[in-house]
Amino acid sequence: MPRPNNPELDLYKSGALIRLTGVDAGYGGATVLFGVDFEARAGEVALINGPAAAGKTTLTHVLRLALPPRSGRAVILGVDVGRASARSRAHVKKRIGYVAENPVFIEHWTAFDNIAMPLRMAGQKPRDYVDDVRELVDFVGLGDAADLRLEKLSAAERRRAAIARALAGKPALILADDPTANMSPGDGRRVVRLLAEMRRVGAGVVIASQDESLEECAPMHRWRIDRGRLSRIGQAASEAAEALE
Amino acid sequence: MRNALTGVERALFWTLAFAAFAAAAAGLAARAVDRVAADYEAARTSYAIVRIVEPEGPVGLAAAEAALAHAPHVASVAPIDSARAAAIMAPLGGPDVGPTQLIELELAGVAPGADAAGDIAAALAENGVTAEVYEASDDGGLSGRVRAAAFWGSIAFALMMAAIISLAARSLAARRREMVTVMCDLGATRSQAAGRIADEAAVLGLYAGLAGGALAGVAGLIVLWLAIPGLSLDALPSMILPVDLAPIVAAPLGAAIAAGAGARAAAGYFHGQAARLG
Repeated sequence: MPRPNNPELDLYKSGALIRLTGVDAGYGGATVLFGVDFEARAGEVALINGPAAAGKTTLTHVLRLALPPRSGRAVILGVDVGRASARSRAHVKKRIGYVAENPVFIEHWTAFDNIAMPLRMAGQKPRDYVDDVRELVDFVGLGDAADLRLEKLSAAERRRAAIARALAGKPALILADDPTANMSPGDGRRVVRLLAEMRRVGAGVVIASQDESLEECAPMHRWRIDRGRLSRIGQAASEAAEALE
Repeated sequence: MRNALTGVERALFWTLAFAAFAAAAAGLAARAVDRVAADYEAARTSYAIVRIVEPEGPVGLAAAEAALAHAPHVASVAPIDSARAAAIMAPLGGPDVGPTQLIELELAGVAPGADAAGDIAAALAENGVTAEVYEASDDGGLSGRVRAAAFWGSIAFALMMAAIISLAARSLAARRREMVTVMCDLGATRSQAAGRIADEAAVLGLYAGLAGGALAGVAGLIVLWLAIPGLSLDALPSMILPVDLAPIVAAPLGAAIAAGAGARAAAGYFHGQAARLG
C-alpha cells in the first residue's frame, strides 16, 4: 500500500498513473529497453507504436509489474516498483487491466466465468456480479459466445473476452499489448475504440501496437519505440479523431 | 467425484488412493505386529516354574501347592503331572519322565524390577519347602525392539507414501498452471494463488485418503479372517482397540496434508515464474 504523504502518492494524486525515468529492462543477459522515459495520465490514452521486436511487449511487462527494471525508476499507480514488496505489487496489479498479446485463460471455463474472475477473486458472489458481467459482455460485443468454453472461441472473440476481463475489475490503468493482432481492420478498430472509451471513466489506457493507424480511433498521446528506445511523437490526429466521434 | 474429475485427474486420484492404502495397510500391519509382540511378552513374563528340592515326593508337592496358593505374584498353580510332562516332552521326542517335582505358575501383578522368584521362594521357605523358582530368561528386550521397529518402520513408510502423494499432487498444480498465471496477472499474491490450488489438491487427497483407508480396513479384516479361522463379527469389537484404527483415520488426513503441501509448493513456483519474468 502506498504510504500517505510520500512522493509516489503525490505523483499519483496529480493524475500520473505511470512515470518511468531512465528505465533499462531485459531478460537474462539481454537488455531490451534502454533508458526509457514514459508517462501516462488518468483519462488519457497512450499509443506506443513500433516494429516487431522493438520492445513493446517488454515495456508492457514492465508496466504490468512482471518485469522489474534493471535500472532507473518506475512509479506505477503511486508505487515505486523497484522498492515495493510482493504484496504491494500484487495490490497494484489488481488495479491494472491487462490485455495480453496472447491472453491466457482458464480454457475449460466459459468466457463468462473467465471474465468474472477478477470479481470472484475480490470475493464477490455471482448474484452480485452477474449483471455487471453481462453488461461488459454486451459492451465488448461478445454476445452469446460468452456462454461457450474459451477453447471454442475464435481469436477475435478471445480478444474481446480478454478486454472484458481486463475491464471487469474497474481498473485504474488498462494495458493492451497488440490488441488488434489476428483481427480484421474493422474489428481491430472497434476493439481499440472500446479500450479508449475507458478514458471517459478516468482510467489511463496504454496501447502497444505495430499499427500506426490506430491513432485515428481516439485522441491519443503517441509514442514510438525502436530498438528499445522510446520517444514521444505528440498527439497527431487526436483532435481529428475526437471530432469524428 | 466421478463427474468432477477428468481422466488424468481420476488417474491422479487413484494414485493418491493407492499410496494412502499402502500407508494405512503398513500402519495396520505395524499394529498387528505390536499386538502380537505385546501378547508374547505378557505371556512370557507371566510364566514361572518351581522345582521342589525338599521335601521330596507327593508330600513336598502338596506342601508347595498349599504354600503357593497364598504366595505373592501367583495367579494360578499347576503341578506338572505325568500327562503334562508327556505332553511337553512329546514334541521333543524325549523319554517318559513320569511324575515330576515341578509346578507351573502363572504370575500376575509383577511390578517392573520386582524379584518375583525371590518372593515366591521365600514364601515357600516359610512353609518348610525348599525350592528353586525359574522365571523366563531375559530375551534382551526382543519384543520391545520388534514393536519399536514396527512402529518406526510404518512411520517411515507412511512418510515415503506422503512424499509420493506430495509429488503426485504437483501434477495437479501443473494442470492448473493457466489458472495460476491468470490469478497472478489479476493481482493474486503467491499465497492466494497457491492456496487455491492447494485447497483443491487437499480435497482430492482427502477423498483419496478416505478410499485408501477404507480399502486398507477391508484388507485388514480379510487378513484377520484368514489368520483366525472361525472368527465371528461379534468377536471383532473386543479384539480391535481404538488405537488399531489410527492408520485408517490418519490416511485421509495425511493424504490431504501431503497433497495440499505438494500442490502448494508447485503452484507457488508457477506463480513466481508468472510474476517475475526475466
